[in-house]
Amino acid sequence: MNLRAHHVLLWGLFIAGLMVMPELVSKGTLRTMIFACYLAIFAISWDVLSGRTGYISFGHPFLIGIGAYTTAILSKRFDVPVEISIPLAVVVTMIAGLIVLLPALRIKGSYFALVTLAFMELMYQLVQVIRPDLTGGTRGMSGLQTLTRGALNGYYLAASLMSVLAIIAWLLMRTRVGTALWAIGMNEESVRGSGLSTTRLKAFAFLVSAAIAGLGGAFYVHYLGSIAPRALFDINFLFTIIVAVLIGGAGTIIGPIIGAFFMVFLLEWLRPWLPGAERYFVYGLIALLLYMFQPKGIMAILAGLWVRLKRVTS
Amino acid sequence: MTYTKGLAVGLMTSLLASTAFAEDIKVGFIGSLSSDTGLSTLRGAEIAIEELNAAGGILGQQITMVSADTGEDVTEGVKAYEYLAETEEVDFIISGSIDDVSLGWLPRMQEFQIPTLDTWTSYIGIIDMVAEDPELMAPYFMNIASDEALATLYINFGADVLKAKMGFDSVVIVAEDTAFGQAITGLVTEALAPVAGIEVKDTIIYDIGTVDFAPIFSKAQSSGADFIYQVSSVNSQVISSQYVKLQVPMAMTGVNVSALGMEYWEDTGGAGGGISTLSPIPSVGFPLDPVSQGFVDTYQAKYTSRPVLPHFNGFNAYHGLKQAMAAAEEAGGFDDVKAWNAAMLKQDLRLEKDGKLWLRYGFWQHGEIEEVTQRTYPQNARFDLTAPYDDAQPSMVVVQWKEDGTVGVVYPFEYASTEFELPSWVK
Amino acid sequence: MTQILIQGLLLSGLYALIAMGFMLIFSIGRTLNLAYGAYLMVGGYVYFWLSQQLGLPKIVGIGGAVLVGVLMGLLKHRLIVKTLKGDHVAVEISTLILAVVLQAGVVLVFGDSSKILLPIVPGVVTVAGAQVTYNILVATIISWVVILALYAFVRGTHTGRAMQAVSMDPKGAAISGIDPDRINLITWGISGALGALGGVFFASYTQLYPSMWVAPLIISVAVVIVGGIGSILGTLIVAHIVGFLEVIIVSVWAPELRGVFTMLLIIGVLVMRPQGLFGREETH
Repeated sequence: MNLRAHHVLLWGLFIAGLMVMPELVSKGTLRTMIFACYLAIFAISWDVLSGRTGYISFGHPFLIGIGAYTTAILSKRFDVPVEISIPLAVVVTMIAGLIVLLPALRIKGSYFALVTLAFMELMYQLVQVIRPDLTGGTRGMSGLQTLTRGALNGYYLAASLMSVLAIIAWLLMRTRVGTALWAIGMNEESVRGSGLSTTRLKAFAFLVSAAIAGLGGAFYVHYLGSIAPRALFDINFLFTIIVAVLIGGAGTIIGPIIGAFFMVFLLEWLRPWLPGAERYFVYGLIALLLYMFQPKGIMAILAGLWVRLKRVTS
Repeated sequence: MTYTKGLAVGLMTSLLASTAFAEDIKVGFIGSLSSDTGLSTLRGAEIAIEELNAAGGILGQQITMVSADTGEDVTEGVKAYEYLAETEEVDFIISGSIDDVSLGWLPRMQEFQIPTLDTWTSYIGIIDMVAEDPELMAPYFMNIASDEALATLYINFGADVLKAKMGFDSVVIVAEDTAFGQAITGLVTEALAPVAGIEVKDTIIYDIGTVDFAPIFSKAQSSGADFIYQVSSVNSQVISSQYVKLQVPMAMTGVNVSALGMEYWEDTGGAGGGISTLSPIPSVGFPLDPVSQGFVDTYQAKYTSRPVLPHFNGFNAYHGLKQAMAAAEEAGGFDDVKAWNAAMLKQDLRLEKDGKLWLRYGFWQHGEIEEVTQRTYPQNARFDLTAPYDDAQPSMVVVQWKEDGTVGVVYPFEYASTEFELPSWVK
Repeated sequence: MTQILIQGLLLSGLYALIAMGFMLIFSIGRTLNLAYGAYLMVGGYVYFWLSQQLGLPKIVGIGGAVLVGVLMGLLKHRLIVKTLKGDHVAVEISTLILAVVLQAGVVLVFGDSSKILLPIVPGVVTVAGAQVTYNILVATIISWVVILALYAFVRGTHTGRAMQAVSMDPKGAAISGIDPDRINLITWGISGALGALGGVFFASYTQLYPSMWVAPLIISVAVVIVGGIGSILGTLIVAHIVGFLEVIIVSVWAPELRGVFTMLLIIGVLVMRPQGLFGREETH
């Protein structure tokens, strides 16, 4: 596992920082941070799968949406208490993760990305035509049970959930399994050659990723209190998740969190200056330029600065 | 250097400005800042605020407005509502949101309890939420007739025009696979045969991503029906323009959301002639009373960009905002939601044209049952479903775009400015 | 029956035209150009601006759209593909971001209300009970001409054969004296032109809309996935499979399931036969 004192210290500082935040910022900013936390959870989920193994998933909204819809339908239509509906949502999402795994056993690279895109698109189409009495069809559902009230409680819940998931994912990635997943991304043949079952490794990555996505999606929908297909099974949602990971730095756990906060706050801070459609244009443009400047993300930029700083000081 | 200085000065003034007007009544606009729909509500509200401020404001205070763009995105809508509530701390929110965006931020409204007026969304499900939980939904008002009332008007149009005048006996319904499409299709199918005597031969549900409507029109033609009833709100330009381009030899009418603004002709480059649709009031081609006409004159003197004529929700925002302020005046502000709600429910603006009641901006009370549909519409815009419309205006009108680019109301006859006619290629 | 045949042929022709440019890039660089749908969007809007807003002749509109398409293709290769040194994932993601930026740009310039293009070739004829617009008929004919010309180009010219070589084995091609960079540039240019041209016809049949880039991208993805990479004729055949599937579903079964079946087709083929119906087995 290779856990060192400074790791514990850094994670401690990170969590302490998150927890004192409400003392420092306004309620409005806290609301923005809640969205950033949920996006960070989705980004971590994507990163566990795609950031390492190289199996680029364009279908993460598919997984998140399944988690969100499962608990929404169960709690709204069948009055299942959330203590039961959320775990069920996670299980259902993990099963969905296995469905996405099936094509991954045979195809990789861009082909895999496309088939997952097809999954997302298929789900969007199905929600509209299959049992709209349950799903609410294109309008979705409103007035779902919310777990918390107020910015403060919502923030504590979201930040705690994100921290716990981040630490679990981080610990997991420091085990031998995590290293093996890296190796799959580098060279799948040689991993197989070394006697490891790549199928089992991939299945593990898909299940963990799906579980995080399902849990995040379920809590997210019970924070929003509403759900709509256009908000979930949407290429713009997919865009935000992937870009958050890559702008932050794939494969680093903390990178996707930084990326998620960056993306959410960028869009929100532009609001007073550019109230209209210009906002999305500038937002996208900044993301594009930043990504083009350093495809390895903000983490790599920071690391570069750190190295330079060291050189200057020595 | 000068740049930094300018920035500092700008910051200072904005700080000063925000403290100097801290006592103001603050209105928040939520909706898309790049759509005709959103801009109609925004501008209607802006004009109303200007007029109120010129007359001395409300409760001795001036009214200011901030806007939060949704980009017609559901999640952005939730963020926009939170921004208005917690960063801008507005007193009242006026919304030009579309259906799923409104449903998205509704839980936030329930939480913050900020008086909110929806001017575009017409989803009956929200009115049902008001009926179920009046306390939680006390801040919510919808001053457009909800879609339950839309179908009734259409049935009458079917009986009075399609059946009586055109001699049509049967219809094929072509509806999109959205929640809106399903609701309207259900309502229309139920009542067309028993009330209007028009037989529904077939119902074709299409995917909103459909590229080519030729097979769907072929299917509609082979059903043997006399005309097509179209229900489209998403991408509705595609089906209507292909109807015109393909010159489908069959009459078509129904609901086509894209044909509701004056820009329809320009946007379709003329490939929209012959299309008729139900429209909320006041629609394009709708004869206006003097007060609403005055609003349009001010609007057109103030704004030159599209929409050149505010959509119906612009009128709703203009009149509705003034009513919300009047209610606040009576309730001593917006803070006591219960008092404001009670005062808002009492608002009743009757606009006359040529001595006849023309438009009424009032609300259905709790428990008040509408005669035709036999149900309640608490906190929803008041409408009248039976001629001669002496209690309020009808829920909707039917408008038709002629092939020469003019547009007029064809039904109800009391409000008509032109007659329903078939496109030239339909024999 | 004849009706389905006619409508199927027409829709498939349009789909083939749309998918061709996407297939070219995928085939030569193994990169998904997710901004491909944006070529169609920009092409359509340029045509709208020139011919419908400025009132210039239609041919100028088409020419302008194709020119802008070529430029976009070339710029994208120079500024994105080369900068990222052909890193597939990075190129795919940056083209996705680019598409979203372009969508926001279109909202800024043209607003978010949908616009209808007048038919490029007006008129309509009724064949066997089915209405056929000259517009889509011409689109289908152009689609066939372009595809056959492309086929002749790839098979018959030096540059075309070089493209094929780069597509099959970039390293081998480089050894035999082909400049893969030049070939790539040419391919991106052609792809941009095809995208813009396809966009003009696609938009003249459906509508101009800021998020209209998604639909043709999905169609292209479907055609290319089902067909497999590297086969021009395969693309043509599969465009017909996708087009006919759609027309048959809509005509004889449930029109609301149109999109569902296209997605099921993609997933099914990818899982059963990953290299596509007409693709060759990838060696690496």
